Amino acid sequence: MHLAVSLDIAVTDSQDILDFGQISAFVRDLEAAGVDMVVISDAADAPSTSPFEATTLLAALATVTEKIGLVASASTLAHQPYNLARRFASLDIISHGRIGWNATLRQNPREAANFSRPEGFSDDDFRRRAEEFINIVRLLWVSWEHDALLFDKVSGRFHDPDKMHLIDFTGEFFSVRGPLNVARSPQGVPVLVMSGLSETELDFVSRRADAVLLDKREPDAKATSDEIKRRAHEAGRNPATMKVLAVADARPEFDGRKLKELCLSSGCDGIALNVEARTAALKDFIERLLPDLERQGFAKARSGKTLRDRLGLSEDRRP
Amino acid sequence: MTARQMKLGLFLWATGHHIAAWRHPDAHVTAGIDIDHYIALARTAEAAKFDMVFCEDAAGLREANVNIASQTSRSIGFEPISLLSALAAQTERIGLVSTASTSYNEPYGLARMFASLDNLSGGRAGWNLVTSASPIEAANFGATGLRPHADRYARAREFATVITGLWHRKPAGHDGESFSVRDPLDIPPSPQGAPVMVQAGASNDGKDLAARTADVVFSAAQTFEEAKAFYDDLKGRLAAYGRQPDDVKIMPGVAPIVAATKGEAQAKYDALQELIPDDVGVALLSSYLSISDLWRYPIDGPLPELPESEGMKSRQALVIEQARRDGLSIRELARYFAGARGHWRIVGTAGEIADELQARFEGGAADGFNVMPSWFPGELDAFATLVVPELQRRGLFRKDYEGRTLREHLGLKRPV
Ligand SMILES: Cc1cc2nc3c(=O)[nH]c(=O)nc-3n(C[C@H](O)[C@H](O)[C@H](O)COP(=O)(O)O)c2cc1C
Repeated sequence: MHLAVSLDIAVTDSQDILDFGQISAFVRDLEAAGVDMVVISDAADAPSTSPFEATTLLAALATVTEKIGLVASASTLAHQPYNLARRFASLDIISHGRIGWNATLRQNPREAANFSRPEGFSDDDFRRRAEEFINIVRLLWVSWEHDALLFDKVSGRFHDPDKMHLIDFTGEFFSVRGPLNVARSPQGVPVLVMSGLSETELDFVSRRADAVLLDKREPDAKATSDEIKRRAHEAGRNPATMKVLAVADARPEFDGRKLKELCLSSGCDGIALNVEARTAALKDFIERLLPDLERQGFAKARSGKTLRDRLGLSEDRRP
Repeated sequence: MTARQMKLGLFLWATGHHIAAWRHPDAHVTAGIDIDHYIALARTAEAAKFDMVFCEDAAGLREANVNIASQTSRSIGFEPISLLSALAAQTERIGLVSTASTSYNEPYGLARMFASLDNLSGGRAGWNLVTSASPIEAANFGATGLRPHADRYARAREFATVITGLWHRKPAGHDGESFSVRDPLDIPPSPQGAPVMVQAGASNDGKDLAARTADVVFSAAQTFEEAKAFYDDLKGRLAAYGRQPDDVKIMPGVAPIVAATKGEAQAKYDALQELIPDDVGVALLSSYLSISDLWRYPIDGPLPELPESEGMKSRQALVIEQARRDGLSIRELARYFAGARGHWRIVGTAGEIADELQARFEGGAADGFNVMPSWFPGELDAFATLVVPELQRRGLFRKDYEGRTLREHLGLKRPV
């Protein structure tokens, strides 16, 4: 059973704000216990009190950890696809292949108001725009072939021009020529995590996502998980190349056994636990819950260096 | 009271600033995919007490012609804010300055990124504001093409107003031509109050915006007279915005090649020059001249008469002037500009280089320098071990950091 820990750095209580030393110590503890990945959430509906933005924090964490997967949320409203594709490809290189992008498919009204979109998008426009955005990012990530870089000092060929590709994308919301100006990243394609799903997005998610975080309010996680895998199969994918994680809060009354039951009954591949970014919550998680989860068979460190390897995913080579 | 000392920045650029740097036998050719390379460079600069490292940026390829691009190392690299965030965790004192475009970002988002970098580094972040003049970049952000210079600067001015408002905790709410922002910034300030603002625009609009908002200004100048004219021009603009001359540090670029003897330094330079493929040199020169068919003329002949450019007028004039003054052929001219992209180049011993830097610093043409090693890591190591100690001996450069934050290094006021 896979175990992800979602660290909600956007706490709204400003009394107890974590500094980089506390966050990195926590992530190193997770790493030592074999946790698959930590998901840093960002920009909630209420103003964040964290001193950090998620992708910059991830870059710094990448240099002080070695094995754990590092995933950051970044919204399709607050960024341009070219910029975001560059950032995550760079993070994947910096971390030697441990990066994922949590693309939240839910519109955040606070973001719209601060990003020159006071009127926001209709739900349908937002969804189509997000899907276009994610597709562009993927195309940019594969715009350099793996063996494009030659580094041949003597002949003077730095790269093979035939292995670098424009994407020449023109869509409803964006047009992007490419290629990316960052090399192909170690995972080939950083892990694409999706969350905040609604019924209308299930097709897209089934085709595109490497990992899915089910909403903790999801009344019937099993039905949703089964449905996603069924549609993935229909779309020609092996459903095993996608991991669905049930989301839960790391509450004091939860223990490892209870979470294992939750995971098994949801039919999911594992669980993503929300931990509040407060000193006491981190301490309780590391000292009490994590050892209990390990005993129940979560967070068994797998071999392999990249996040894809850890999750048992092959490289995404779909068109 | 110590005497005025110069500020030093290290201008990072993957394999080095010389166009053929990556072909140097000892150059770190995988720089664009190797974070450890950058960590090592930043630590070298920090040990030498540099004020900051600086990353340039463009959101697209540098060169449209694929065949030319493949003979340079400049089509791939790290996105600089990620790169510097990684360096923040691996260094302690050195300033971390990244370029980001006002044309392809939103102020609220960029304010968050830099505020976060500033917190990660304990107050060492800086932002180099650029408006982005390349059509290659424009094509990655919509089909509309490069917008006119004046429009780009209008957007940049509004961007600068909004982002400094956010950083300086001004009351929330902005509803303008290009941007609307409702809330105050949701990231608390770092120990330096707000990231340092850097600019390098050379146009009238660019210099004016810098005079209004920048803490540091980068420039490119060949001769003392050019450097002095730029320095006096920019400092002269400050009073109109209620600012003092010392509120802005002007740091022209310099590409030194240093060795134990002048002959040795010259030999190092000549060897690098030999590595420039003709078509790469001519393509670079063509871009400065804003023409596409320079390759039609005999490479060992003189520069032809050219129509006045609609692109970079000042750079074109500088190239033509150089060609006429020194009677250079196209090949010689191309090689000359391939060495440091129009920045000042000095080839010599540590003493000779220190003499030249001292003359510009004490002559009122610079507050410090943005050092552009020709190739990495070798030319940085040479500068750090030969030139920096010489500057320190002369009392021209610090022996240790005076403070913790980039503002403290630069002697800038903390924003209120
Ligand atoms: C040292 C130095 C570094 C620069 N770095 C960048 C850069 O990273 N990205 C960029 O687009 N322009 C860069 N520029 C260009 C200028 O910032 C500016 O965009 C250019 O001079 C055009 O502006 P202007 O029309 O006001 O002259 C740099 C210039 C200098 C002198």
